[in-house]
Amino acid sequence: MSRRESDMRDDELHAFLRRAITRRGFIRRSALGAGGLVLGNSVLAACGGGKDGAPAAGADSATATAGGGKTLRISNWPLYIDKQTVPDFEKATGIKTEYTEDINDNAEFFAKIDEPLKRSQSIDREIIVLTDWMAGRLIQLGYVAPLDPAKIPNLANLVDNVKDVSFDPGRKYSVPWLSGMTGVGYNPKKTGRELTSINDIFDPKFKGQVTMLTEMRDTIGLVMLANGKDPSKATAADVKAAAAKIKKARESGQIRKFTGNDYAEDLAAGNIAAAIAWSGDIQGLAADNPDLKWIAPKEGAMLYSDNMMIPKTSDRQDLAMAWINYVYDPKHSAQIVAGAPYLSAVKGSGAELAKIAPELASSPLVNPPDELRGRLHVFKALSDAEDTEYNRIFQDAIGA
Amino acid sequence: MAGTASGGSRGSRLAPYLLVAPGILWLLVFFVAPIITLAQTSVSGLEGPWWETYQRALGNYGTHFFRSFRYALGATLFALALGYPLAYFIAFRAGRLKNLLLGLVVLPFFTTFLVRTFAWKTILNDGGPAVWLLQQLHILAPGGRLLDTTIAVVGGLTYNFLPFMILPIYVSLEKIDRRLVEAAEDLYSTPLGAFRKVVLPLSLPGVFAGSLLTFIPATGDFINAQLLGSPNQQMIGTVIQNQFLEVRDYPLAASLSFVLMAVITIGVLAYARVLGTEELA
Repeated sequence: MSRRESDMRDDELHAFLRRAITRRGFIRRSALGAGGLVLGNSVLAACGGGKDGAPAAGADSATATAGGGKTLRISNWPLYIDKQTVPDFEKATGIKTEYTEDINDNAEFFAKIDEPLKRSQSIDREIIVLTDWMAGRLIQLGYVAPLDPAKIPNLANLVDNVKDVSFDPGRKYSVPWLSGMTGVGYNPKKTGRELTSINDIFDPKFKGQVTMLTEMRDTIGLVMLANGKDPSKATAADVKAAAAKIKKARESGQIRKFTGNDYAEDLAAGNIAAAIAWSGDIQGLAADNPDLKWIAPKEGAMLYSDNMMIPKTSDRQDLAMAWINYVYDPKHSAQIVAGAPYLSAVKGSGAELAKIAPELASSPLVNPPDELRGRLHVFKALSDAEDTEYNRIFQDAIGA
Repeated sequence: MAGTASGGSRGSRLAPYLLVAPGILWLLVFFVAPIITLAQTSVSGLEGPWWETYQRALGNYGTHFFRSFRYALGATLFALALGYPLAYFIAFRAGRLKNLLLGLVVLPFFTTFLVRTFAWKTILNDGGPAVWLLQQLHILAPGGRLLDTTIAVVGGLTYNFLPFMILPIYVSLEKIDRRLVEAAEDLYSTPLGAFRKVVLPLSLPGVFAGSLLTFIPATGDFINAQLLGSPNQQMIGTVIQNQFLEVRDYPLAASLSFVLMAVITIGVLAYARVLGTEELA
């Protein structure tokens, strides 16, 4: 009996891992799963917008076929797309598409695909979407197929500032899906004042009422900015100094928790006053709970992108490139942003968004003004050894 | 075995082995092989002696180990204190309600472990009913909290593993021949004396099984600590999970798992010796 029970529990734990350490949409998903048990109907309403139909959308709507009748299989983060995008794509191209929201955590997804890709086996995906640093690791390991610009004419719409990135010079293997910012989210009713700085998180007045993220680059990056260091040039000493500051705050009881996406739940429930938070999430909650605010602190905020890549073992790479070409049309990109309020890397997407969702198009979260862009930082690309070392320091700091 | 029935004695001699073969195979593939791989992982990638990783595991995470055993022990004792009387009531006093009550004990399993733990988050919220009540009763200071404290973690563990305590105790109580209790009373034993001398000793195998089913998973649990605790309440399960998935320091994670298994095994054997039951061995 005990063995069967523990196996069952393992299944649940794995399901939990898949969701819990996620950055996007976990709250909304879990609220749906639990029948609103956790957050109540308010958040359900906020996240409604019909987006939850996306995963199943591909299954029944495609009648025509292309690409030899094979199915295009995409893995992405939860609730990171508009529900119309996949059906529209199928109609426009005739490519049957299976869109799965099964990426919840970079490291965890990597653990899933590492072995098969190492042995050059198929992972049954044509498109995967991972954050910069993880994209860099996959490219370095040779797991990614090169893109063929001739098959993706719309790549010309890629905005200039991400055309050349350190982890993928010349964008030979990857293109951005959407980008987001990591800053400070807070509940002014609980803080009693407006926040402007990362150091507000360390204000003893908020003892036991602040949370930080379990994503090392986000939390360490922001605290480095608070220390006046540049996260794009992180050294072991910088990381140690930031970690020491975090550890001290943790041990004193200042930090209530290190979380994945579930900080939003604590913010909404009034358990915490302030949190290191992702821009798109707070926007999602603020639509329903106008108390909550998100700021890019005066010291700066972290910028991350999630990138589309084609696994080298995919036998349908043309379908994948047709998909990339489709979403790099400004109109289609604007539609995606309307469904998921993050930053698009497609030229002209802002103008298209203004046509379909004018109030969203002017939001700094979707379209940061130059002043804000100047304060955005990207964490340094780390070698495997650095990654392990910094993570070790970070895990020690957060007590895990 | 129908086909071998005519084979006579040779077939029946083989029968037991054939019957256990699937189980043995299962254990070999899903228990022995992973254990060996885990052992290999725990000593891989080293320049120094093989115990280097183990030294690091114990040196850095000793506090997490102690905390895990403390919390699990606390949860086991609470579960025993809550579960024994309830199992006793169901077995001896519930009458026709017996099946209904047993059903209610198992009922929480119809919801997943995770959702139930999440529900506790809502119940223990700073603005929630539990905090409000305790503050009205002046048990909790104003501005005090329940969520993200030791109480919440141990409470969550107790709640989640309570049925594993109740059910084995219930089974062992149910098996007791009522005439033994009657005999004790016929011999002028007080009800309490009959309980102490007859019922309690006969229910000890259930207590033993229940304690193990509570203590062992509670020690390795990380959901309760993660959802209901602050960073200062994290247990060894959280560390192992982080080392495997986030840090990807597989040797350290493997050695932590091994230390955990070793300590639990030694603890269980010691406990079995004390309680004098051979059920486990």
